[in-house]
Amino acid sequence: MLEIKNLHARLDDGREILKGVDLSVAEGEVHAIMGPNGSGKSTLAAVLAGREGYEVTEGSVTYRGRDLFAMPADERAREGIFLAFQYPVEIPGVNNMYFLRAALNAQRRHRGEAELDAGQFLRVVRQRLKVLDIADDLLQRAVNVGFSGGEKKRNEIFQMAVLEPRLAILDETDSGLDIDALRVVARGVNGLRAPDRAIVLITHYKRLLDYIEPDRVHVLQDGHIVQSGDKTLAAELERIGYGTFAEAPETAEPA
Amino acid sequence: MSAILDFPVKPEARPYLDAFDGRQRDVTPSWLAQSRRRGMTRFAELGFPTRRSESWRYLDLQSLQQKPLLPAGPQPGGHEATARAQLAGLELPGRGPRLVILDGRFAPTLSRIDDLSAGVWLGATEAAIAEREDLFREVAEEVPGDPAHPFAALNAAFFAGGFILDIDAGVAIDQPIEIVHLASGKDPRSYHTRSLIRLGEGSRATILEAHTGDGRYWRNDVVAVRLAAGAALTHAVLVEEAAEAVHLAELDAILGADARFSGFALLLGGGTVRHEASVQMVGEGAACRLDGAFIVHRTQEANIVTNVDHQVPHGETRELIKGVAAGRGHGAFQGKITVREHAQKVDAHQLSRNLILGGRAVIDTKPELEIYADDVKCAHGASVGALDEAALFYLRTRGIPDAEARHMLIEGFLREPVEEIADPVLREHLLRRLARRLEKLEE
Repeated sequence: MLEIKNLHARLDDGREILKGVDLSVAEGEVHAIMGPNGSGKSTLAAVLAGREGYEVTEGSVTYRGRDLFAMPADERAREGIFLAFQYPVEIPGVNNMYFLRAALNAQRRHRGEAELDAGQFLRVVRQRLKVLDIADDLLQRAVNVGFSGGEKKRNEIFQMAVLEPRLAILDETDSGLDIDALRVVARGVNGLRAPDRAIVLITHYKRLLDYIEPDRVHVLQDGHIVQSGDKTLAAELERIGYGTFAEAPETAEPA
Repeated sequence: MSAILDFPVKPEARPYLDAFDGRQRDVTPSWLAQSRRRGMTRFAELGFPTRRSESWRYLDLQSLQQKPLLPAGPQPGGHEATARAQLAGLELPGRGPRLVILDGRFAPTLSRIDDLSAGVWLGATEAAIAEREDLFREVAEEVPGDPAHPFAALNAAFFAGGFILDIDAGVAIDQPIEIVHLASGKDPRSYHTRSLIRLGEGSRATILEAHTGDGRYWRNDVVAVRLAAGAALTHAVLVEEAAEAVHLAELDAILGADARFSGFALLLGGGTVRHEASVQMVGEGAACRLDGAFIVHRTQEANIVTNVDHQVPHGETRELIKGVAAGRGHGAFQGKITVREHAQKVDAHQLSRNLILGGRAVIDTKPELEIYADDVKCAHGASVGALDEAALFYLRTRGIPDAEARHMLIEGFLREPVEEIADPVLREHLLRRLARRLEKLEE
C-alpha cells in the first residue's frame, strides 16, 4: 500500500528533518510511529499529505503503485489518503456538514460514483455519529470554529469515518485528549480496520496503543527509523524511554 | 436659451445641461419644473466629483466623464421579452409583491402590486403624481446642497421612474417586497430613478431591491427612507449589473425614536459600482445595521460608503462590511460614524474585513469615527489579507479540488454579513446569488 524509501525532506529554511526514512505498510495493517518531540514524526505526516513548505530532496514514496509526489494534496485525498491533523484548522463561515459533503462527493466523483444529495448524505452521517457517540450539533457549526481541543479531534475521526480512506495517517490525534475522547478515537480507528485499508498512527505516547493494537511499531528519531518491532516494542519504549535508541542509531536496522 | 447659463458650467455637465434644456418645456406642475431646474443648476455647477473629493476618491469615473450617457427619453421603450429573461433566476421565490422598473420606467406587465394589505401604498414614483401628490413631492423636491452628491442633484433634474412605498402606522408586512431594476441594454443611456420608503409609527417591512441589465448604461439611483418612531425596515440591495454598467446609488435614511433600520448591500457585478448609505438618527433609541459585501474581478470597481450621524442619545450602529478583490479589481469601503456632542450613550461598532486574491487586486478601507460626546461606546476595525493557506490545505486534504476549496473559503468569508438578514427567504436567496457569483469568479 505504502512504500517509503530513503526519504529525505527539509524545511524551506534548509533544515533537514527527515534523513532517510524507510517504511513499508501493507494493506490491512496498523502501524505506529513513535518518537520524541522533534524527531520528524509530524514532518513525515505533512510530506505524505502534501503540505507546502517542505522539500523532498531524496528518496521516494509509492502509494498503491503510484508515485505519491506526482499527485497534488487534493488528489492524494481523492485516491484515499486521509490525514488527521494534530492541530485541525478553524474555517469560519464554512458549515461542517456542507464541507464534509463537498469532500465526500469530490471523492465519489473521482471514483466514478454518483454524488450523494443532502438527504442521502445525512443518513450516512447520522449512522457514523451514532457509532462514534458524537453529538450531532457538531454538523451545524462552522468547521472547527469554537470547538474544544477534544471536539476538534473527534471531528477529525468523524470525517475519517465518513470518508472511509484506504490509508489513514493520524498525526498525534491522541495528544491532549481525555479518556472519553481517546475512546472515540480508538473506536473510529478500530471501526476502520479492514483487509484493504492501512492505518498509520503517529504518537508520542503508548497510551493510544492500549486501545488500538498495532501490527508494527517503529521508533523515529532524528529523522530515521531507528527500531521496528511488534506491539511489544511500545511497552518497552514506555519502560526505558527514547533515550536508549538515541545513543546507538547506527546499529539499529529498520525491520 | 435659459437663465441657468448665468453661472459657470463644468464642461462634463454640458451634454446633460443641453439635454435638460431640450425637454423642459412642458413640465408640470410648476414646483416640479423648479426643483428639476434647481437640480440641474446644482449639477452644472458641481460637475463630476474629482478624486480630491473625499467620499469619491476611490472611484474612477473617467470613462463616464469622457463618454456621457444621457438620460433615457420620457417614453418607456418596451423590450419586455428581454426583461423577462433577465428576471428569470433573479426573482425572489414566492408570490410576494413585486415592482419592476425597466430602463428607468415602471413596467406594469412585469409587476405584481395589486394585492397589497390595507394601509400600504406601493407604486411607481411617476404614478404618485396623480394619486398621491404629497408623497411625490416628498421624493421630488429634495435637492441636496452637499457638494459630495452631484449625482443626486442630476437625479433631481432628470428622474423619471422609481417607486414609493408608504405604510401606515402599525401595519406589518411579513412577506418581502421585491423591487427589480432592469436595463434592457438596447440603448446606451442613463436611468435616473428616485424612490421613497416611508414607514409609519410601529410599522414593519422587508424590501429587496435587485439591479441587473445588459450592455452599457448608467444607473443613478436615489432612495429616501423615512422611519417613524418604532418602525422597522430591512432594506437589502442586490447589484448584479452588466460588466460595462455604471451603478451609483445613494440611500438616505432618517430614523425616528426607537426605529430600526437594517441596511444591506450585496455588490456582485457591474463595471463601476458605488453604494452609499447615509443614516441620520434623529430620535432617541434608534438603531441601524449597515452591512454589506462586495466582490470584484477583472477591472471592476466597487465602493461601499456609509455615513451614520448620531444626533441624539442612546443610538446604536453596527456595520460589518466584507470585500473580496481578484484580478485587477478594486474594492473600497469608506465608513464614517459621527456622534454629536449631546448624543451620549451611543453604542457604535464598525468592522471592515477584506480578502485580496492575487497580486494585482487592490482594496482600500477607511473606517472613521468622529466623536464629540464623552460617554459613548465606539469601536472600529479594518483588515486586509490573503486567503488562509492553512485552511486551504485542510480542505484539500479532504479531497476538495483547489478551485472548489478556494471558493468555499471565499464564500465562507462573505456569508457572515448576509447571515445577519433576518428574513429566511431573502437570506437564502442572497446566499444563492453569492454562491452563483463565485462560480464565475476569475482570480
